[in-house]
Amino acid sequence: MRLDENEGAFTIPEFGKIQFEGFCRFIDQGLMEELHNFPKIEDIDKEIEFRLFGNEYELAEPFIKERDAVYQSLTYYSELYVPARSIRRNSRKIQKQTVFLGNIPLMNSHGTFVVNGIYRVVVNQILISPGIYYRSELDHNRINYIYTGTLISDWGRRSKLEIDVGERIWARVSRKQKISIPVLLSAMGLNLEEILDNTRYPERFLFLLKKKGRWEREEYLWSREKAILEFYKKLYCISGDLVFSESLCKELQKKFFRKRCELGKIGRRNLNQKLNLDIPENEIFSLPQDVLAAVDYLIGVKFGMGTLDDIDHLRNRRIRSVADLLQNQFRLALGRLEDAVKRTIRRATKRRSTPQNLVTSTLLKNTFQDFFGSHPLSQFLDQTNPLTEIAHGRKLSHLGPGGLTGRTASFRTRDIHPSYYGRICPIDTSEGMNAGLVASLSIHAKIGDCGSLQSPFYKISERSREEHMVYLLPGEDEDEYYRIATGNSLALNQGIQEEQITPARYRQEFIVIAWEQIHFRSIFPFQYFSVGVSLIPFLEHNDANRALMGSNMQRQAVPLFRPEKCIAGTGLEGQAALDSGSVAIATQEGRIEYIDAVNITSSVNGDTVRTESVIYQRSNTNTCTHQKPQIHQGECVKKGQILADGATTVGGELSLGKNVLVAYMPWEGYNFEDAILISERLVYEDIYTSFHIVRYRIEICMTSQGPERITREIPHLDAHLLRHLDENGLVMLGSWIETGDVLVGKLTPQTIEESLCTPEGRLLQTIFGIEVSTARENCLRAPIGGRGRVIDVRWINRVDDSGDNAETVHVYISQKRKIQVGDKVSGRHGNKGIISIVLPRQDMPYLQNGIPVDMVLNPLGVPSRMNVGQIFECLPGLAGNPMNKHYRITPFDEKYEREASRKLVFPELYKASEQTANPWVFEPDHPGKHRLIDGRTGDVFEQPVTIGKAYMSKLSHQVDEKIHARSSGPYARVTQQPLRGKSKRGGQRIGEMEVWALEGFGVAYILQEMLTLKSDHIRTRNEVLGAIITGGPIPKPDTAPESFRLLIRELRSLALELNHAIISEKNFQIDREEV
Amino acid sequence: MIRDEISVSIQTLRWKCIESRAYSKRLHYGRFALSPLHKGRADTIGIAMRRALLGEVEGTCITRVKLENIKHEYSAIIGIEESVHDILMNLKEIVFRSDSYGIREASIYIVGPRNVTAQDIILPPSVKIIDTTQHIARLTKSITSDIRLQIEKNRGYIIHSPNNYQDGIFPIDAVFMPVRDANYSIHSYGSGNEIREVLFLEIWTNGGLTPREALYEASRNLIDLFIPFLHGEEQNIDGMNNKKGSNMLPFPLSHVLTDTGETKEKIAFQLIFIDQLELPPKTYNSLRRANIHTLLDLLNYSREDLMRIEHFGKESVEQVLEVLQKLFAIDPPRN
Repeated sequence: MRLDENEGAFTIPEFGKIQFEGFCRFIDQGLMEELHNFPKIEDIDKEIEFRLFGNEYELAEPFIKERDAVYQSLTYYSELYVPARSIRRNSRKIQKQTVFLGNIPLMNSHGTFVVNGIYRVVVNQILISPGIYYRSELDHNRINYIYTGTLISDWGRRSKLEIDVGERIWARVSRKQKISIPVLLSAMGLNLEEILDNTRYPERFLFLLKKKGRWEREEYLWSREKAILEFYKKLYCISGDLVFSESLCKELQKKFFRKRCELGKIGRRNLNQKLNLDIPENEIFSLPQDVLAAVDYLIGVKFGMGTLDDIDHLRNRRIRSVADLLQNQFRLALGRLEDAVKRTIRRATKRRSTPQNLVTSTLLKNTFQDFFGSHPLSQFLDQTNPLTEIAHGRKLSHLGPGGLTGRTASFRTRDIHPSYYGRICPIDTSEGMNAGLVASLSIHAKIGDCGSLQSPFYKISERSREEHMVYLLPGEDEDEYYRIATGNSLALNQGIQEEQITPARYRQEFIVIAWEQIHFRSIFPFQYFSVGVSLIPFLEHNDANRALMGSNMQRQAVPLFRPEKCIAGTGLEGQAALDSGSVAIATQEGRIEYIDAVNITSSVNGDTVRTESVIYQRSNTNTCTHQKPQIHQGECVKKGQILADGATTVGGELSLGKNVLVAYMPWEGYNFEDAILISERLVYEDIYTSFHIVRYRIEICMTSQGPERITREIPHLDAHLLRHLDENGLVMLGSWIETGDVLVGKLTPQTIEESLCTPEGRLLQTIFGIEVSTARENCLRAPIGGRGRVIDVRWINRVDDSGDNAETVHVYISQKRKIQVGDKVSGRHGNKGIISIVLPRQDMPYLQNGIPVDMVLNPLGVPSRMNVGQIFECLPGLAGNPMNKHYRITPFDEKYEREASRKLVFPELYKASEQTANPWVFEPDHPGKHRLIDGRTGDVFEQPVTIGKAYMSKLSHQVDEKIHARSSGPYARVTQQPLRGKSKRGGQRIGEMEVWALEGFGVAYILQEMLTLKSDHIRTRNEVLGAIITGGPIPKPDTAPESFRLLIRELRSLALELNHAIISEKNFQIDREEV
Repeated sequence: MIRDEISVSIQTLRWKCIESRAYSKRLHYGRFALSPLHKGRADTIGIAMRRALLGEVEGTCITRVKLENIKHEYSAIIGIEESVHDILMNLKEIVFRSDSYGIREASIYIVGPRNVTAQDIILPPSVKIIDTTQHIARLTKSITSDIRLQIEKNRGYIIHSPNNYQDGIFPIDAVFMPVRDANYSIHSYGSGNEIREVLFLEIWTNGGLTPREALYEASRNLIDLFIPFLHGEEQNIDGMNNKKGSNMLPFPLSHVLTDTGETKEKIAFQLIFIDQLELPPKTYNSLRRANIHTLLDLLNYSREDLMRIEHFGKESVEQVLEVLQKLFAIDPPRN
């Protein structure tokens, strides 16, 4: 247990800290450790010696700013310099020099990297910590219990020890093969005497020997060579004779012992602890003693001694953070460097060489480039809104190398474990395939040493009655041993001494005990939840599944044109906004000297500080980031004051949506099945208007016929499409682009033969004898739905390592999207829906004071989903709006009192009705409900309706991006059916349900056409096109469609022939026909 | 209690303004009562009036902004705190009061550093700004800003698709809705067969119109919608041409003309602005310069008088006459 004497006030740790601390660990410790391990390199003749002085490494300040790196599509990195020394023995020459080892991408203060102009984040991985875990499980007959010990290596590879029913002990080396323990031990180098001396149960081993008779006995008399041979055979399933050789031994060493048995430091510590061993920590591979001790323990477990392990317990898991991942990569790079130095040193014996000549800087650079580019844990930062950025950095993934995969993970590992309490959020995870595998860190949790997750609690000390904060590790001797109250003393029944009981957690159970017996109490009601979840007000009234959707959908909310604070919130909005880095903050106190949309200059005592604000920049996910100054010229600011609000913050609070007046009532079926109808007001008052900045790019390559050209002169192309191009062939800034317009005019050179291949080329050639152009147009055009204003054109020139000049043109187009039918909107409680209709304001139902409702939701969306929080949220919204109040509500207030939320909400409504002199705001007969009037007829609706101001956001799933049509396009290679998905220009699937619909209509021919002629019959689908154009009859095919032929072929591969034959009636002659 | 205050005459329908208040420059409130009404009538009038108030009242707004040397609205101008888009959105907020139809031009010419508010807009005659304190931009350097505006009167709202985009001209999605909110309530009194109702109408406007004017305009627009019923059913014998022509009428005034007397006709003509005639810009501008704004003005000119107008060729005269003939079936007086 670690005690942090952190007394007094405390704040929630910064949300981006997890990432940033990890990176700092890498820079401060990881680099040093690895450089320290870099060996002294000598050539064969021991003439030249080369070594690095790792503890004097230096990182140069990056020569470009982070934002410029994004702008120029570069990597934001720092150069690593390490002093090195080379000694020439024969000439007694010592050269010392600071060598440039390579570039290390740097993390910015929000925990993200910029690699090739793209923001990336390295997700923390959570995996089983190396060590040994004992369990009992059913054998394959599912009758008997067998005991197993699973040895998990640092790389996640498993090997299993097991005792079977016959009390024999095996080590399982692969799925099918197992070898007996004595063989393994002797292969590892122990002989029988050593085994018998060191085991606690020598009689068990001897018993085994006796039981199996002579043949087994011989096994023990085998030499190590024989054991290795046997082991090798079993491992690779080789039958027959093998001759022992040193190389075989080496291979085994490399493939099995190195990979499967590398424990690492953590594994060594775990193993020592579990098996009560005393092996030094730097022995990172498992030794024969370990195996022997493990077997002993296993036997003990069989006899009921020792404890079985819960592999899903957080104690048995560790976090592999950025620090570890980067350190691994760095080790890899240094390993490669070592090889490279060895190679150069051999050649360098003749020539004189400086240390810098011996090392090469590309290795490190390439290793990191590969890591950031292709490692599954280095992810493309989701930047839909600031919350998404934070949440992405705080993810914990079970996936990735050494971890699980979505398909193989069991339900147990996906489930919430009691030890997650306060460390991993029980709610926040992704939906679908990766449910439970991608979790999220709780807001207070922090990563301790060895990658353990810690959660803070208040220790209640009996003597001093003082409380201080303590970080607890998961585990039996840590937090499970103590009784941890979930509430605080305020929630007790104050009056009666005997009834001062509180719910508490003790040994993975919830119990109710007296307050005196409590050791710790939790520090904050939101301690158990992730950032996304802790932004949901009235969370305790929601079903966990819907809260999950709520937190996930907040991350998809698109920044709106004019954001608005939520009326009912939880109080964490401020920190979420600040930690996201979307807000510009004064770095020091001073007076604002000058301000405009791009720059804010403040000065104190003559020093001027310039803050650049972001205006209409594209984020990774095509949303818009923008900063708006919140201060005026001449004002004085304090350090830490907000200078400019981001695209989704208002006054430094995260605001992802808008407060709109919602009513829960059905309306003409337009809100059937979660559809939502909205008022026109949301359209014309730009309430849900968002900006999207899309980047289109085209590369200018070198072809075999010469370089490609960017030009305005594109032959055979409508001048209308080229109207926006300037004289260089690039689109002009500020032009309004419609679908199909040319953004960059590019000509690709081609040979005469190629250009003659086109029909129009040949036609021109034959008729007019015109010299056809030797270039093919290869322009960048605005795709469907790509209309908008060109806001930036960048020509990026990059010289890569091989000296090639890669030129790219980026065109940025900004779109302003108003809300429309088909857009997805959601609240914070998982209440999502699609806009079904936009009604004029006079048609909407209206309140008794004439105000029309903005949004009509279906009341049936509440009971089955059990997200009552949305109703609770509505009502303070209604009260807060006229009173201009914003409520910040801590969840779980019901522990203080029954119906506490209701008691909170109704008085506010009552107050609002008093203050605004609107008696209808609070009607005692149906509090929170109102008589609404139909805007079309003026009739009062039969039942009172729940209305209120709900905080709804527009999500990034918008029709504009989804809408897609195809008349013909690509087909799947094998089945010859149209491809799926918009990105592949796919077609619409005629699925089962669609077939039923057509069957229901009885339109047999149409159905057949859709399924075969127009879809996967290669010949007819071309003919159909012609037939439709000319108005002729649809061709009737005489062959089978492609998917049927595929079926036939698959059957054939199973040795089944499917054919049909016509037997003539007259002479019974069989007329076979090939399908 | 309100019922007591109003003396209701049983015989004739009367309306009365009970309350009129301006909460701010941009929030005007008015409450009107209409009585006595037979049972059920109040509802008929009430819902129709509410819908007409919300949907049929016209307002004036900026629809286009011209800024020099600006490529696109997602850029910033050095020396101005707001981005171009924010300036446009501030301009969208300005509430105008105008009687004239058609596109009017206004401009802002300011030398910084200073705050630019709606006060600084140089307006064409007959256009007024309701709230001159509306913030537009904040200039922090000594730069000049020259903004040209186009003001239009219309109803509902428009969402521009900037297809015919010209350099430096930014269309604004204008919202011409002076009525912010409308509500009605019904109070009945009397008993038995003698039940009478009072209709209370509450109107909140943005100041572009007073509630009283809004009420007037809404009811007038509502009446216009009912006028076709006063005339006999249309005979569709003349064939396509005629039908097409009649469909093109901005509103069916020809019926009014035949039915009403001379003075009413004059009033009607006074209410038709030449903007509605859809004349070519050149002709339109010439007429405007000659101080011809309404149809009545136009009808005071004879063919010869028209010819005498500056820049007004024979062709233009023909156009005007043709339009008059086509839309209203009237010839200009010959003298």
